[in-house]
Amino acid sequence: MPADESTAFELEMPAKAKYVGLARLLAGSIARRMRFTEESIDDLKIAISEMCTNAIVHTGNGQEGLAPILVRFLVGEGFLTIEVKDHGPGFDPSCVLDRESTDLLSQGFGIPLIKSLVDEFVCDSEPQAGTVVSITKFLAGENGKT
Amino acid sequence: MDNDEREGAGLDVVLESVGNFSLIGLSGEVDVYSAPKLRETIKDLVDDGKYNIVVDLEKVAFLDSTGLGVLVGGLKRLKHHDGELGIICAQEKILRIFRITGLTKVFPIYRSRDELLANVEEA
Repeated sequence: MPADESTAFELEMPAKAKYVGLARLLAGSIARRMRFTEESIDDLKIAISEMCTNAIVHTGNGQEGLAPILVRFLVGEGFLTIEVKDHGPGFDPSCVLDRESTDLLSQGFGIPLIKSLVDEFVCDSEPQAGTVVSITKFLAGENGKT
Repeated sequence: MDNDEREGAGLDVVLESVGNFSLIGLSGEVDVYSAPKLRETIKDLVDDGKYNIVVDLEKVAFLDSTGLGVLVGGLKRLKHHDGELGIICAQEKILRIFRITGLTKVFPIYRSRDELLANVEEA
């Protein structure tokens, strides 16, 4: 994420599918206040939806008594960074970061979609240590930039 | 015209018959929470011998990869029966997701119900 002064908001939510819409709503509201274009707001809503969905699936897909997911919004000068942290079993991130998006029908659409919709994508995960996925979208070039 | 309605999970599903097609009209959001309703709807139609299905996304406000996955799964299921799964959508924000993922080459996409009907009449 950019090393800039930023304001942070955090949402701690149960690792359940029904709360993904809430995270999406919050992302959309923050992005709209930052004057992202509607297209970029849609991009961010899809990206956070994908990140939260992955976190929920990795954390146990809605089982009771599991650790919550932490969604962190960093609002900076000209950028919005969103981090989603889960306490799932973790994995080797190279298996998603290095993946070519040439066979989406068999490999899934989520990660390639995120990568194509945001400016920066970082996945930090280790086996048994949970996963943090971070995306950043910049306001540069946005029509609504003030 | 058959008409059945299901509600809940931020996604409303309305079933209709249009020509040889079973039309699934969606309104709301298709994500990890609501997508199982769409999956079940498609599965029920296939189990009922309906192998030509069109999903109308014109009233869908949001669709992510979970929704795409359900549509692709439905298409694969229908292909086993020599069937077809088409999409009705003219919303750029939804079509863009299909383009990014290459799915515009996989699904027949109609811009409107009228375009679907015109194709049904031509067939």
